[in-house]
Amino acid sequence: MEGLVANLIVIAIKIVVILLITLGIGAFLTWVERKVAAHIQRRPGPMVVGWHGLLQPLADGLKLLTKEDLFPRYGNRFLYYLAIVMALVPATLTFAVVPFGPEFTLFGITVKPILTDVNIGILLVFALGSMAVYAIALAGWASNSKYALIGSMRKAGIVVSYEVVITFAVMGPIILAGTLSTYSIVQAQIEQKLWYIWVQPMAFVVYMFAVLAEMGRVPFDVQEAEAELTTGFTVEYGGMKFGIFPLVEWYIEGLALSAIAVVLFLGGWSPLNIPFVGFIDPLFFLGPLSPFLWFALKVALVFLFILWLHWTLPRYRIDQITETAWKVMLPLTFINLVFTAIVAPLIWR
Amino acid sequence: MIKKVFEKPVSWIERALFLDFIKGLSITIRHAFRKTITTHYPYEKLTPPKRFRGFHGHKVVDGNEPQPAFDEWVARFNIHVQPGKSRCVVCQLCKRACPVPELFQIEGEKLPNGKRVLKTFNMNLMLCTFCGLCVDACPVDCLFMSDIHETACYTRKDAILDIEILEKIGKDWQLRRENEPDRIWIDDAQRKRLWYENNLSFLEDKR
Repeated sequence: MEGLVANLIVIAIKIVVILLITLGIGAFLTWVERKVAAHIQRRPGPMVVGWHGLLQPLADGLKLLTKEDLFPRYGNRFLYYLAIVMALVPATLTFAVVPFGPEFTLFGITVKPILTDVNIGILLVFALGSMAVYAIALAGWASNSKYALIGSMRKAGIVVSYEVVITFAVMGPIILAGTLSTYSIVQAQIEQKLWYIWVQPMAFVVYMFAVLAEMGRVPFDVQEAEAELTTGFTVEYGGMKFGIFPLVEWYIEGLALSAIAVVLFLGGWSPLNIPFVGFIDPLFFLGPLSPFLWFALKVALVFLFILWLHWTLPRYRIDQITETAWKVMLPLTFINLVFTAIVAPLIWR
Repeated sequence: MIKKVFEKPVSWIERALFLDFIKGLSITIRHAFRKTITTHYPYEKLTPPKRFRGFHGHKVVDGNEPQPAFDEWVARFNIHVQPGKSRCVVCQLCKRACPVPELFQIEGEKLPNGKRVLKTFNMNLMLCTFCGLCVDACPVDCLFMSDIHETACYTRKDAILDIEILEKIGKDWQLRRENEPDRIWIDDAQRKRLWYENNLSFLEDKR
């Protein structure tokens, strides 16, 4: 009985911490994105609210909250509100299977810094990822607007194509680790002394492309294509309801997929890796905190790389995007699978 | 003859290694770590060039009038010249040059000693296109255009300049910028900051 209560308390604390981290950082990432975009375009970005505009997300949130709440005339009110929930919940749930670091003991209780170490963690991530398409399709349908509908259709087409690709791309690391649990995948990489990016570079590239497509980032941002569709499926949303969609799609989902990329390819919380030899930890002086810092650092780097891509590349056409997915990416992942099957016994030993 | 120009096609090796991506990414990252080139507008302001067409003003009599034109016009119209007041000789040439003449309300007055003096000079800038024809027409270098360009106002009334405002703008201008060289690009530090990377040579640098 006492064990159960302790477990429940630990889980509650984990949930609160993870929610605070994801939603807090998600809001803060709007500032990061604006700064990165601005500096790439030789502007300083937000500078007025707080030190270098650090409180800008807060000001934006206040502004969005005080806006008038409009609803399209012949829209479907139930689906309109359901779409917001459907967007927010799966994206946030993804963090349930993201391992932030190794096990540690605190006050005699062993804590795994992962909410639920289910043995099908990766499957759960991609199941929740495909849930996002419901939110977008519903948002487009319920808004009763042609821009929103076209935007949501485009996004649905992209997500359907890239879900297949991303699933085959992560097959490689899963075979090498021999497990679907995110925690065990990282541990397998530490035991094998190998980040899977060294043997799976092709899968990593394909995965990054698929992440861009799922997040609706450039070069795959046809669903919002502001030149032709105003902002795509969020056209008829106003105030904070409008704010939640980019927050979810660009920041929370982006953060989650970056974290999964780190888990699958970059060795999770492990420090710098020399393949098959071992790990070098320049942050050893931080002691037990160093794995957490490594994880945060890697996720930040992957996320910044995505931002950098976003503010560099032009936009593809919808047919080019799906063509790349089915004709280039998918065959590449098949080749990668064959390659993995050859290499895997060497790595398993 | 039509010259056919094709894009250089991206080779397969370039495509496979994302060399075109990397080219673009290297450009953006290089720009990201350079100095920003913007002005933080309400806190920093650029000085417009001297020939900028902003709000109008009346230069005042201070001894620097264009001669002999000013004396000729004064003699012709028998104008009562007051130092520190507008140079206007009520010739109405600005109104004649203006594409929207009702913009100007100009009236002179005859003093008891027989001399004439300017009474009203109102400009309704709601009608103004800032074409500068009135400035070109002015024979005594009185009417001019200043560098005041922040012209937003709360009521339409604020867009009407009367003689007091015009003289104020003129005095301010003569204090600040009258002695500047009359070129389009002047060597002020703010604008130099904007163009620092273009290797332009400035007068200041040569000195």
